[in-house]
Amino acid sequence: MSIKYESQKIAQYFYTFAVILFLVQVLVGIIAALQFMWPDFFFLNFNTIRTLHINALVVWLLVGLMGATYYVIPEESETELWSVPLALLQFWATVVAVTAVVLGYIWMGFSPQANSLVLGTQLLNEGREYIEAPRWADILIVISVLLFLFNCFMTVLKTKKWTGIQGTLLGGLLFLALMYLPGMAYTKNMIKDQWWWWWVIHLWVEGTWEVIAGALLAFMLMKVTGAKREVLEKWMYIEVGLVLFTGILGTGHHYYWIGTPGYWLWIGGIFSSLEPVPLLVMVWDAFRTTREHRVSANRPGQYYAVAHAIFNFVGAGLWGVVHTLPQVNKWTHGTQITTAHGHLAFYGAYVLLVLAMIYVTLPAIRGVKSFNESRSFQSFWWMTISMVFIVLTITGAGMVQTYMERLMGLDYVAVKANYNLWFWILRAIFGVGFLIGVWIFVVDYFKLGKEPQRAVSAAPERA
Amino acid sequence: MSNKAARNLFIFGSIFFFVIFLALTYDTMSQVEKRAPEITEGVNAGKMVWHKYDCIGCHTIFGNGSYFAPDMTKIVEKKPKGYLKQFLMDPKAVNPNASMPTLGISASEADEMITFLDWISKVDTNGWPPKPILAVASGVAGKELTPGEKVYRAQNCSGCHSISGIGGTSGPALNHVGSKREKTWLIGHFKDPKAFVPNSAMPPFGHLSEKDLNDLADYMVSLK
Ligand code: HEC
Ligand code: HEC
Ligand code: HEM
Ligand code: HEM
Ligand SMILES: [Fe+2]
Repeated sequence: MSIKYESQKIAQYFYTFAVILFLVQVLVGIIAALQFMWPDFFFLNFNTIRTLHINALVVWLLVGLMGATYYVIPEESETELWSVPLALLQFWATVVAVTAVVLGYIWMGFSPQANSLVLGTQLLNEGREYIEAPRWADILIVISVLLFLFNCFMTVLKTKKWTGIQGTLLGGLLFLALMYLPGMAYTKNMIKDQWWWWWVIHLWVEGTWEVIAGALLAFMLMKVTGAKREVLEKWMYIEVGLVLFTGILGTGHHYYWIGTPGYWLWIGGIFSSLEPVPLLVMVWDAFRTTREHRVSANRPGQYYAVAHAIFNFVGAGLWGVVHTLPQVNKWTHGTQITTAHGHLAFYGAYVLLVLAMIYVTLPAIRGVKSFNESRSFQSFWWMTISMVFIVLTITGAGMVQTYMERLMGLDYVAVKANYNLWFWILRAIFGVGFLIGVWIFVVDYFKLGKEPQRAVSAAPERA
Repeated sequence: MSNKAARNLFIFGSIFFFVIFLALTYDTMSQVEKRAPEITEGVNAGKMVWHKYDCIGCHTIFGNGSYFAPDMTKIVEKKPKGYLKQFLMDPKAVNPNASMPTLGISASEADEMITFLDWISKVDTNGWPPKPILAVASGVAGKELTPGEKVYRAQNCSGCHSISGIGGTSGPALNHVGSKREKTWLIGHFKDPKAFVPNSAMPPFGHLSEKDLNDLADYMVSLK
C-alpha cells in the first residue's frame, strides 16, 4: 500500500490532532463520571468538565473527518491537492482556535464572572450545549471550514472528475458547514433558541454527518475489498437519500416538548421512527460487499468499517428508536436513557467511522505493505466491550430514573444519589476499560508502520 | 435503478423534504409567540444569566441539556421564589448537602433568573413534564391520615423535605425531627423560620390557622 499523491500525507496532521483530543475526551469523561459520586473532588465543576468532554468529542471527529477528506479528494480526483500550504494553514489555525477555546472554558471554570458580555455575546462560553464556543470562535471555525472546503473544491475543479463518492462527501461537508450557522444568532425566545439549536445538533448527527458516513463507508469498502464502484455508489445514494428523507423531518422528535405546536408529535414520531431503515441498509451493504469479495487488502480497516456500520445501526438506530415515539419520550425525555443513546450512537456512528478511516488510509500514508495488526484488534475489543457495558449500565440507570422519578414522582436528587449510585460506580469502572482501549489505539497510531516488522501472521485470527 | 436515477432521487428527494421542513419552520415560528407569555426585558436578562453561568452544563430545561441536575422547566411551580433566590446565590448555605457550586450569582441576577424561569414555566409544552401516574403520595396503603399529615401534604412540605426517603432534598430529612425539636420551637419556626434559624431558606407558614400549625407540630413531634 502506498499513496498515489504526495499531498494525501496532509491527512496525518489532522489524524494526530484528532487522536490526541480523543484521549483527552475520554480522560475528562472519567472525571465527569466520578463527579456523579463526588461532585466536588476536582478543581473544575461538572459543567466545565462536561463541556470539555463533548466539545473535544465533536472537534476531534470533525478534524478526523477533515483529514480523511484530504486523503479521499486527491485519490478520487486523481490529482494533487490544490494547495498544501493552505491546508497546513487551515490545520494550524484550527489547532490555535481550539486551544484558545479550551483555555477559555478552563478560565471560566475558575471564575464564572470572567464570562462577561462583550459586544452582546459571552466572551468565553455561550452556555448552549455542544455549541458552547463563543462567537469569535464560531467565526474562526467558519473561516477554517470555508478554507478547507475551498481547497477541496479547487482540487476537484483541476480534473473535473466528479465521482459519486466525492460529490456526496463534499455535499455533506458543505451542508455540515451551513448547518452550523443557525446556531450562531442570539434569540430572546428560549423556544426559538432551542428550535435553531436542534437544527445544528440534529441535522448534523442525523443528517449531514450520516451523509458523510455513507460516502466514506462506500470509499472504505471499495478500498479494502476492491468492490465495484458502480454498485457501491448506487447503494450509497439510496442510503444517504433515505437518511435525509427520514432525518430532516425526523428533527421533529426534538420538537415535542419545547413549546412548539402539537403537530410535531405526529411528524416527529412518524419520520424519526423510520430513521433506522437507512442505517440497516448500510449494515446489509457492508456485509454483502465483504462477503462477495473475500480478499481483504486491510483487515483492521475492514473490521472497523463493518463494526461502524453495525454499531451505527445499534446505537443510533435501535437505541434511538426505542425512545423516539412521543408516547415513550414523554417519560424518558432528558433522562439517562438519552445519555445511553448518545454514547452508543456517537461511538458507533462516528468514533468507529473515523478510526476505520484512519486504519484504511494510514498504512498507505506511512508506505507500509503490512503492519502488526494485533493492537488494532485489542483496542477494538477493549473499547467496544467497555462501551457496550457503559451503555447497558446507563440504560439501567435511565430505566430506574424513568420509573422512580417520572412515574412514581420521587425526587430527582434522591433517585440520583441513592437508587442509581451503583450504576455510577459501574460506569466509572467500565470507563477505565474504555480508556485502556483508547490508550492501545493511541500507541498503535503512533507506532503503525514505524517498528521493525515482526512475523505478521502472528496476528490472532479473530475476525 | 441506474446510478443516475438513484442520484437524482437522492438530490431532489432531499430538497423536497427540506422545503417541507422550511415551510413547517415558518408556520411554527408564527405560532410560538402565542404559546408563551410576552418576553419582557427581565425575561431576556434572566436568559442571559442562564447562558452566562452555563446552567445547561448541569441542568436540563424543557428536558434538554445535561442530566447531572434536576430539570428547570417547572421549578418555580415547585419551589417558592424566596427560597430559589437564596439557593441560587449560595446553594451550600441553604442545603449543606447541595452539590451545586456557588457560582457568584448576584441578587439582581438571581431575580432576573427567577423572572426567566417563571416565563419558562408558563410555556405551553404539550403537557411535559407529565404528572407521575404511580403517585407515591397516595401513600401508606389503607391507613387513615392524621390531621397533621393532611396539612403536611396540602402544603407540599414534601417538595423540600423527605420522610423515610420519600420527598425532596432541599431541606433536611424529617425522619427524626421529633427527637430533636420541641413543639413550641416547631410552631415558632413554622411562623417565622428566620427568627429561629438565621438565614433560613424555608418559606414562612404563618398564614396557616393555629389548629393547622398545632396539628403539623404534633405530626413532627411524632417522628422520632
Ligand atoms: C456544576 C453543576 C451545576 C451548575 C453549573 C448549576 N447547577 Fe443548579 N443544581 C445542581 C445540582 C446538582 C442540583 C441539585 C441539588 C443539589 O444537590 O445541589 C441543583 C439544583 C438547582 C435548583 C433547585 C434547588 C432545589 O432545591 O430544588 C435550582 C433552582 C438550580 N439548581 C438553578 C440553577 C441555575 C439557574 C444555574 C445557572 C445559573 C445552575 N443551577 C447551575 C448543579 C448545578
Ligand atoms: C422551599 C423549601 C421548603 C419548604 C416548602 C418547607 N421547608 Fe422546612 N425547611 C427548609 C429548609 C431549607 C430548612 C433548613 C433551615 C431551617 O431549619 O429553617 C427547613 C427546616 C425545617 C424544619 C427543621 C428541621 C430541623 O432538623 O431543624 C422543620 C421541622 C421543617 N422544615 C418542616 C417543614 C414543614 C412541616 C413544611 C411544610 C409546611 C416545610 N418545612 C416546608 C425548606 C423548606
Ligand atoms: C448517529 C446518529 C445519532 C447520534 C450521534 C445521536 C446522538 C444523540 C444525542 C447526543 C442526543 C442527546 C442530545 C442532548 O444532549 O440533548 C440524542 C437525542 C435523541 N436521539 Fe439521537 N442520535 C443519533 C441518531 C438517532 C436516531 C436514528 C434516532 C431515532 C430513531 C434518535 C433518537 C433520539 C431521540 C428521541 C433523542 C431525544 C432524547 C430525549 O428526549 O431526551 N437518534 N441523540
Ligand atoms: C468514545 C466514547 C465516548 C463518547 C462518544 C461520548 C459521548 C458523550 C456525549 C455525546 C455526551 C453528552 C450527551 C449526553 O449526556 O447524553 C457525553 C456525556 C457524558 N459522558 Fe461521554 N462519551 C464517551 C466516553 C465516555 C467515557 C469513557 C466516560 C466515562 C466513564 C463518559 C462519561 C460521560 C459523562 C459522565 C457524561 C455526562 C452525562 C450526563 O450529563 O448525564 N463518556 N458523552
Ligand atoms: Fe435527533
